[in-house]
Amino acid sequence: MNRLKLCFNQLREQQRAALIPYITAGDPTPTLTVPLMHALVSAGADIIELGIPFSDPMADGPVIQKASERALSAGTRLRDVLDMVKIFREQDQTTPIVLMGYLNPIEIMGYKTFVETAESVEVDGVLTVDLPPEEMAELGILLRSHNLAPIFLLAPTTTPERIKRICTQAHGYLYYVSLKGVTGSSHLNVAEVANKITEIRRYTHLPLGVGFGIKDASTAAQIATISDAVVVGSALVQRIADTPPAQILAVVPAFLRELRNAMDVPPRTMG
Amino acid sequence: MFNTRQNRFIPHTRVKICGITRPQDALVAAQLGVDAIGLVFYEKSPRVITVEQAQAIVRDLPPFVTVVGLFVNAKPPWVSHILSQVSLDSLQFHGEETPEYCATFGKPYIKALRMHPDLDIPLEAQRYTQASAILLDSYVPDVQGGTGVVFDWQRIPTHISKPLIIAGGLTPDNVSQVIATLRPYAVDVSGGVESAKGIKDATKMTAFMKGVSMSITYLMTKDISHSLPDEHGHFGTYGGCFVAETLMQPLEELRQAYEHYLQDSTFLAELNNDLHHFVGRPSPLYHATRWSEQLGGAQIYLKREDLNHTGAHKINNTVGQALLAKRMGKTRVIAETGAGQHGVATATVAARFGLKCVVYMGAKDIKRQAINVYRMRLLGAEVRAVESGSQTLKDALNEAMRDWVTHVDDTFYIIGTVAGPHPYPVMVRHFQAVIGRETRQQIKVLAGRLPDVLIACVGGGSNAIGLFYPFLEDRNIVIYGVEAAGEGIATGHHAAPLCAGKPGVLHGNRTYLMTDDNGQIIETHSISAGLDYPGVGPEHAWLKDNGRVQYVAITDQEALAAFHDLTKLEGIMPALESSHALAYCKKVAPTLSQDKIIIVNLSGRGDKDIHTVATLEGISL
Repeated sequence: MNRLKLCFNQLREQQRAALIPYITAGDPTPTLTVPLMHALVSAGADIIELGIPFSDPMADGPVIQKASERALSAGTRLRDVLDMVKIFREQDQTTPIVLMGYLNPIEIMGYKTFVETAESVEVDGVLTVDLPPEEMAELGILLRSHNLAPIFLLAPTTTPERIKRICTQAHGYLYYVSLKGVTGSSHLNVAEVANKITEIRRYTHLPLGVGFGIKDASTAAQIATISDAVVVGSALVQRIADTPPAQILAVVPAFLRELRNAMDVPPRTMG
Repeated sequence: MFNTRQNRFIPHTRVKICGITRPQDALVAAQLGVDAIGLVFYEKSPRVITVEQAQAIVRDLPPFVTVVGLFVNAKPPWVSHILSQVSLDSLQFHGEETPEYCATFGKPYIKALRMHPDLDIPLEAQRYTQASAILLDSYVPDVQGGTGVVFDWQRIPTHISKPLIIAGGLTPDNVSQVIATLRPYAVDVSGGVESAKGIKDATKMTAFMKGVSMSITYLMTKDISHSLPDEHGHFGTYGGCFVAETLMQPLEELRQAYEHYLQDSTFLAELNNDLHHFVGRPSPLYHATRWSEQLGGAQIYLKREDLNHTGAHKINNTVGQALLAKRMGKTRVIAETGAGQHGVATATVAARFGLKCVVYMGAKDIKRQAINVYRMRLLGAEVRAVESGSQTLKDALNEAMRDWVTHVDDTFYIIGTVAGPHPYPVMVRHFQAVIGRETRQQIKVLAGRLPDVLIACVGGGSNAIGLFYPFLEDRNIVIYGVEAAGEGIATGHHAAPLCAGKPGVLHGNRTYLMTDDNGQIIETHSISAGLDYPGVGPEHAWLKDNGRVQYVAITDQEALAAFHDLTKLEGIMPALESSHALAYCKKVAPTLSQDKIIIVNLSGRGDKDIHTVATLEGISL
């Protein structure tokens, strides 16, 4: 069974929501990424979304843009990101890794090389922010035939017809973008999100993650009660930016641990 | 008359492989479906063969492959001797043979013509009245790169009284484009399919034949240019809609509104009214007689988009989109801007229609274009500096997209060029095509006919598409899109994705990009802020690949020289963007005769660039 499915099955049995940290690979330096991934797992991460840095991250807010800029100026390339997963797997065979990024680096590497390498280093899913299902036919087939789950986004603007269509193509889990905006915005409305989640559940049995705008432990705990996974990106990345490199491995996982604890206590009341 | 270029039926293009020296090469050629082979009987050629070799080749050849014997200024008894020994179907003469000489052997013959500058092709075709075809060798020894070949093609008239065979410089890589562009009766290849002189390479011959058959696709897509993009915004593999999920529905709503109001007569009347009374259309088509005379060739006409309100073509589009924004009930418009022209045009229509306006501009560009920043503020717009990335146009576009995704309910994003996600490329083309439609009518009145050449600068490419689009189906018109070569393509400091980039995905569409080997977008350079962009509209990418438009590049220095030329000779100060198109015109015009017509899109006026020009020349104002 693949790692994503196994992970969500276990969490479902334990009646817990997944905690999914996002970090940009190579931020602030490539050498720090793999140790940080391990530290995040120790601090309670169930799945890791590993960002592929891109020069023009159109859907991201300033925090993740700057993370991309730091990673790029440290020389991080897509092939380095894939190498990081390979090294991570030497010690961790169970935590699912989802690569998240924009299409151009993948397109320039070539779809085939990308999916073959991603499969061989044991990536579990791929989320390409600027590749909607309408444009995904070719890459989608390649991903699936190489045991890589194409992860799709759903948004507040997504119509019921589109939700239905996207759900039929989705694998692994669905990522609900909690608000109209870029990553790291701050207007998340829990009640609105809950309504939309109820609507989406009509069309799919796949786990539903929620991201964009989850900044603190209490929001994470609230979202954990209505979804299957909590994605935290900008809040984490901001701490990477604010912390001297030598202390990142201590400070950043500690923040994740706060979210984990808030999500797990009090125990989740319903699934 | 042979007029295959206008023929809707797409005929098979015949292939001749010339300079065969070995029977096995002839056999491979025949198996690949080659229509003719050429045997060289000219002793100075490295591919010359003996009578015995020729006999061996012909003996093994299966039926329905024409054998052509090639001669250069040969004595008649030598030709007769070969004819008596080798079973040739046709002769081909490559020297200065007269029509009388060629006709004396009682065999069908092909006359080869080398493309000297003063060669009059139709006249020659008439002179060799008994020739079964004319072969044009388009190779020009002294000219580097593709430009020489392009000029040669342009000299090929549409109506020639003989079937046309194209030779010289053909390879498996360029044959599709040559066929798509010229629609010849046949192509003739020799060196392009060889591993050594006279030794044909089976792999290369196969690739060449594949290229020939691929040209059918090129020809078919060329014939349906008016029906593109498809319903999802694709121009071939380019275009499309590459955005995050949140924007998919807003873009769909925009597409529906745009398609609806295009059919709405009240909307169209309002648009036309504003184009006339607010923008000042139609813009004149001006015969630049002094400049034409100085260059000593074709007659140059300038489409005066610089005379529009706000001084550039940009306002054609912003008026259209602002009207659409009003109809869609949006109260706020946003825009990205590089040079500031699109920002000014957006701020202007926002003032005109009472809309709130925010313009995103790279922090670097804000410094370069202080006057336009102040203009926008005077018009009531808020100009927001973009500090991320390279702090130029591409980053302003990223930031405008971020704003849109956050305020999608009340905000209309007015994109300034024929790029971005569907439906922007087709919508902006529609609003800018007024340039080409007017030009068509005006040149017919002024010159009594359509032009021979169109030239426009290409950054994102909206002024170019605006001029080109209504002429794409007129196959005889040669069209040039001029990119910014900056400090020179070789230096890497340029903004010429079509000439030196590769396909990728950025800003919502697949197109040619300036991207490094790791998929990161490269910083661009151009003297003109309006061309300083790493992508280009997807329709240009498609027009490049199918060969309908030739894309070339002009350096900062060449553009600057053209800026001065037009200013001093015609009293018209062009924008530095438009100066790139003018600089290319300077190269083309002298190569054409005085009865030819070139139209250059003078997309904007140069007042905004005075500081840039002065600084470059060490003058402080």
